[in-house]
Amino acid sequence: MIKRLLKVTFSEWKLFFTDPAAVLLLVIAGFIYAFYYPTPYLKQVVTEAPVGIVDLDKTAMSRQLIQMSRAAQQIDVKYVFDDIHQAKLSMADGNIYGYMIIPNNMERDIRTGQKVTLNVFTHGAYVMLHGNIGTAFATSGLTLGAETKIKRIALDKQVPAKSAMAMRDPFPIQIQTLYNRTGSYSNYVVPSVLVLILQQSLIIGICTLGGARAHRKFRKKKQESAAENESLPYRYFGRSLAYFLHYACFIAFYHFVVYNVFDFPRRGEPLPMIVFAVVFLSASINLGMVLSQVFLRRETGMQIFLFLSIPILFLSNFSWPRYLIPDWMAALSAILPSSYAVPAWISIEQMGAGIQDASVFLVKMGVQSVIYLGLGLLLSFLRDKSKLKTGDM
Amino acid sequence: MILLVLPVSTSIFMVHFFSAESIQRIPIGIIHYDYSKLSERLEYSLSANPVLDLKLHCSDFSECERGIRRGEIQAFIVIPYQFEKRVLRYETPVVPIYSNGQYYLTNMFALKEIRSVFSTIGSNLFTRHIKEPIKTEIHSVGNSTGNYQGYLGLGLVTSIFHMSSILIAVYVFSFPLRDRKTKEYIDAAGGSRMILWFASVVPLILISWFLMLAVYTYTHRFLAPLTLSEFIMVAAGQFAMVLACTGAGISFVGITGNMRMATSVAGVIGGPAFAFAGQTFPIIAMPFFVRCFAFLLPLTHLLKIQSQMILGDVGLIPSWDSLVILLGMGLFWHLLGGRLIFMRWKKWNHD
Repeated sequence: MIKRLLKVTFSEWKLFFTDPAAVLLLVIAGFIYAFYYPTPYLKQVVTEAPVGIVDLDKTAMSRQLIQMSRAAQQIDVKYVFDDIHQAKLSMADGNIYGYMIIPNNMERDIRTGQKVTLNVFTHGAYVMLHGNIGTAFATSGLTLGAETKIKRIALDKQVPAKSAMAMRDPFPIQIQTLYNRTGSYSNYVVPSVLVLILQQSLIIGICTLGGARAHRKFRKKKQESAAENESLPYRYFGRSLAYFLHYACFIAFYHFVVYNVFDFPRRGEPLPMIVFAVVFLSASINLGMVLSQVFLRRETGMQIFLFLSIPILFLSNFSWPRYLIPDWMAALSAILPSSYAVPAWISIEQMGAGIQDASVFLVKMGVQSVIYLGLGLLLSFLRDKSKLKTGDM
Repeated sequence: MILLVLPVSTSIFMVHFFSAESIQRIPIGIIHYDYSKLSERLEYSLSANPVLDLKLHCSDFSECERGIRRGEIQAFIVIPYQFEKRVLRYETPVVPIYSNGQYYLTNMFALKEIRSVFSTIGSNLFTRHIKEPIKTEIHSVGNSTGNYQGYLGLGLVTSIFHMSSILIAVYVFSFPLRDRKTKEYIDAAGGSRMILWFASVVPLILISWFLMLAVYTYTHRFLAPLTLSEFIMVAAGQFAMVLACTGAGISFVGITGNMRMATSVAGVIGGPAFAFAGQTFPIIAMPFFVRCFAFLLPLTHLLKIQSQMILGDVGLIPSWDSLVILLGMGLFWHLLGGRLIFMRWKKWNHD
């Protein structure tokens, strides 16, 4: 029995490396994407975003503020403008991504006890730079203002400078980032995308090879061979095993190689990783087995899943919380393994979670596997019985 | 399905995905080692903040840390022992805040709000009547409310049409090759490959362009309205991008000679294009060779035009360069694609 099963497994695995479409999807895609996708984020964080300052005050204090801004790591003060229109044009030209306006009479107003507002304008299309530029300018403004406020408190309350400082900021906060400590953008995006690469290439690959279908037309010379036309359980589980073993190697490759190359934290313990691999790959393989019986052409799965890759990535909620999406979308996301695999992978691999911590996601993928297994077997059975003459599968 | 249903439905899907517009109700936790009026006040303010949702009261550090690992909370605050007493003695007790940097966006929003709550209460505690001398107001030009439905929606819609234009061209031009119908198609065009070319390309470009324009207009209602000249510039940019992408798709068919391989190439280039186009992670922060690749993507230039248009009263001049580049790309890809596909047609017509 095992011999028959392994024969089907080996025959299918061989196909991964001999069928040109399969090689591309099941072998090359997993490697190429893992190195290609993270390349935009090689620098990991955005530093020295080009910005400008419109200095309408032109005093010692405004120059001090410019100096403080120049010292900020997140921004690079490229230009100091005399009027606002120049700054607007520079932002439209793409030379700068934001600018701060130092108002006329800033120093005079501060020295006479009035309140001054510094307006910072960032380019609305670049949300990441908005945060960085805003924080850098706000910190400069706050630092300059702090000196003045401490002096005012000391004079008003008749207290020494140390007490004035304590009164200004009585309980300072200290932020400790538990995971992704450097605020790396690649560390935030790429792990989720890696899981998606595995799922998408696996499903598309299974669809391209026809899942558990018998007499696959594209195997022209071998479509009548024994391994190709084993009984349904052998075909289904034998081929599934080939996909499972192949993709388990990919998970190991990502864990040991890709994570090292891109310097991602690798906190996954062996047992949770194995459990993750089993439930995630089972759910994805069985979903692929279901879908492969629906398509008549080898490339249909690829065409459809390429369109769906962006919605599927966002439905995994790696960036936008699940509770903020419409209910029907949340319900729809329940059919995709990636919706649970991405948070499970992040918990286990990025945060070092154990099986118990990630169980909420692992159990759901387990349920998906069982449902898709039943459906996959049923559809393969029906496909075996049908006499469709169209298509190439 | 590929020409109409999938591009429109996935685009509308993505726009509605962000219907909450901005991030709210971020779950956070708290550990109290001091039950005082001041700590209660802080807790009340955190609960009242619409961006935060004080969900978990932990008895110790490990309980809250587990909450983060399980995805139940995004951050937690530790109110230290004798917090109020130490504050009143001017000892400036430090309040540690532990956050999960893995979820970048929610982390950014959560920390911003927690900082704001603490600084508001802190600055009002002893020096309510002495205001901060300098206040900084941060404005996002063209997206004043920080609306993600508009900001990310527009980029994603454009990205989906970028990919769909390539895929549709691949499908239309590889279909006769796949189904061995090249001769039939050329015969239908009266034996003229030029007529077949135009009959295939023109409807393809026009349909994709109109669909994109319609979905873009639908999405843009979440942002400040465009003037007529700005709208025309965006429409021209979109036309040029569709032109370039269809040309690229035809070239992929011409190079590979079959639908499956051409679709794979289209997927490799079009799939992750949004990551390279600079809207989420700026191009200036990418390595040089990646910037070169980003420059070759039509999506990069159209996103540049679209983002310039949301800035308002700066005129159209800054966008001309991007438009010219897109048109140049369109011309190049169509000349290349035309040459290659004509050769394929000739070969298959004879076969």
